Amino acid sequence: MVDNRKPTPPVTNPGRRGFLKGTTVAGTIALVSPFGAPLIAAGKPDAQTSKPPLRPSRLDEGLGPHPEDRGPLSSAGSDYMIDVLRKLGVDHVAFVPGDTFRGLHESLVNYGLLTEPKMTYSAVNHEEVAVAFCHGYAKVEGKPMACFVHAAVGLQHASMALYNAWADRVPVICLVGARVYSAERGIYVDWVHSAFDGASLVRDFTKWDNTPLTLEDFGNATVRAYKFATTPPAGPVVLQVDMTLQENPIPGDTPPRIPDLPHSTPPSGDDAAVAEVAKLLIAAESPVIAADRAARTSNGLALMVELAESLQCAVVDSYARFNFPWRHPLNQSSRQGAAVAEADLVLGLEMTDFHGLIGSLRKSVKTVSITSEDLYMKSNYGDYQHFSAVDIAVEADAEATLPALIEAVRRLTPTDRKSAFEARGQRLAEAHQLALQASREAAAVGWDQQPISVPRLCQELYGQIKDEDWALVSGTVFQSYWPQQLWDADKHYQYIGDAGAYGLGYLPGAALGAATAHAKHGRLPIAIGGDGDFMFSPGVMWAAAHNRIPLLYIIHNNRAYFNEIMALQRIANRRNRGIDRTGIGNDLTQPLIDYAALAKSMGVAGFGPVTDPKDLASVLKQAIAVVKRGEPALVDVVAQGR
Amino acid sequence: MDMRQLASAMGMVLGSFALVSAAAAPAPGNAADGERLFIGDRCYACHGTQGAGGGIAGPRLAPDPVPFRSFLMQLRQPVRRMPPYSERVLSDGQAADIYAYLKSIPPGRPAGQIPLLNLAPNQGRRDPHPRW
Repeated sequence: MVDNRKPTPPVTNPGRRGFLKGTTVAGTIALVSPFGAPLIAAGKPDAQTSKPPLRPSRLDEGLGPHPEDRGPLSSAGSDYMIDVLRKLGVDHVAFVPGDTFRGLHESLVNYGLLTEPKMTYSAVNHEEVAVAFCHGYAKVEGKPMACFVHAAVGLQHASMALYNAWADRVPVICLVGARVYSAERGIYVDWVHSAFDGASLVRDFTKWDNTPLTLEDFGNATVRAYKFATTPPAGPVVLQVDMTLQENPIPGDTPPRIPDLPHSTPPSGDDAAVAEVAKLLIAAESPVIAADRAARTSNGLALMVELAESLQCAVVDSYARFNFPWRHPLNQSSRQGAAVAEADLVLGLEMTDFHGLIGSLRKSVKTVSITSEDLYMKSNYGDYQHFSAVDIAVEADAEATLPALIEAVRRLTPTDRKSAFEARGQRLAEAHQLALQASREAAAVGWDQQPISVPRLCQELYGQIKDEDWALVSGTVFQSYWPQQLWDADKHYQYIGDAGAYGLGYLPGAALGAATAHAKHGRLPIAIGGDGDFMFSPGVMWAAAHNRIPLLYIIHNNRAYFNEIMALQRIANRRNRGIDRTGIGNDLTQPLIDYAALAKSMGVAGFGPVTDPKDLASVLKQAIAVVKRGEPALVDVVAQGR
Repeated sequence: MDMRQLASAMGMVLGSFALVSAAAAPAPGNAADGERLFIGDRCYACHGTQGAGGGIAGPRLAPDPVPFRSFLMQLRQPVRRMPPYSERVLSDGQAADIYAYLKSIPPGRPAGQIPLLNLAPNQGRRDPHPRW
């Protein structure tokens, strides 16, 4: 047995984590150390250095024997946990290493990645990135993946990203290491990285959490967690996984049965209510369908088109998902205000801020909501938005309700009503075309200016990708929805919406996750993200390179946190104290950030800063060539604010 | 909007005209100074460095800006999201300079002459990939 209390680190004191890692690689094949030299078998004196062993740090003091030192184990509880994940189809994991899930970590790398069906992983640099990775991945792949998160500090890092996923109604399976028993806590850091009820930190914005105390409990809890996470309204779940449970052998070496995942059907609207809504839609002269997170799937998108075409009515999309083809003639999103002002009925599908759309309408306008939001809600955080006082609220998942609604509309539409529908559709098609032309005229203004105009940036990009199987993995609000205004897109995966809670730092991680999912399908993933957002998680560039994630990441570099400038000026104006100092804290200057150099430093092809719009096409072409080779690329574009 | 609200709104508009009428003469501002103010005071954050507009953040101001009277009224008593800028924060003379800068910005190419704004629509394909 190796004497744990007298480690002989090869170069520098690796601390407890590094030392333990060393003890477990003894006898393994030659691995290359982070410094380029072969790793030395742990437990043996370092023959390559004459330096004496360093004095153990405080982290190592008091380190006692660990379960893995009790001799070879016949089985591992965390192997069973890997099997549970695999049975659920959770085949990808993102993580930053953490002591409290070392059992799971070891099972992933030495069991999950090597045995069928093989899992895959993405190593990242921040728990916030690990969760955001899951967030982006799930929106593309249509199923959740998992992240492993260290106890206490790891979950604290992860918390904001969990809030984003919660507010965006996206499933994430977050496995948090835990020292449930005080006997597991030895040295200072063990105690400070433990919590009696760690998940309470995120309970306000996760759908469910659990701390299983047996492997059988783990199996049941994980299947239940998966079911909760994916049932509309979807959301993140947390499982605290005790270290002892991970590291101990499976009792009797007989794994508990893993429950089958039930075939779930999302709640659909009551037949009578659906028929009533259909009658209202048919009778309305100018009905508008408003969609936010309505189309969860590609089938949902097809159903949205079917309903709108059955009625030949206007659709306005809030762009939280790909709800409607951007160039469909009934798409009135670019003239949302006018379309809603003309409406005599507004049907909101999975709307988040429905009040914002209908709150100021005439009382005579009928309003109907179909949303699963009414079925599950929590109290503390205000993501439930202002109350929407609608005439009819159908408490159900919108996508699951659409087939019945379409059927009812078709069945109940009188033949003599159809010509009116056709005429309405024709008017809306003309309005769509006029709105498109207005957007083009607006985009032309400032086309050649520097810093580069945002519509110019978007159109130069579109010119390079329009014949590719592209997918935008970023939201577009901070690009003023120019892609939706100008691009042609009709596939559900081509757009996945934004962060949910607008918590900065979402996109770098989410883009990596989404791109990882797209890569399986050979698509060209693209993110256009703000410089301020990127600076919350610049380390993702290393993760993109390390995991070889093909992604074109365009920095919309406006050199400021632009959103806040006007807010600060409003206050300064009210106080009559001048506005010339409102750049303080908002500007990202002095020094300017060289994003291309930052990317290169972490192994990503970096381009820019591009300041002349005439250079954009050629630079984007080069970057896209990199991505098509299966690698990430970053392009820094110095652009206007919005 | 009922009659009382309408009367109130009209009063506000008329009041705005009264407030700015003295300063609503054609502005002989300095365009170079105006550009410095436009950038220094971060008008560009919402309206773009050449007033082309900032999409959802702020409307287009140039080329061919609205009459100075309307410009000044929007500055002092804005409608929609823009914060008000009092004379103490931004004098009439400075406003005139900014206006002169906006007036000096030449028009660009029309959309019809920009190929990237006239790309043909794509052929649609069905997404075969199911989701949760």
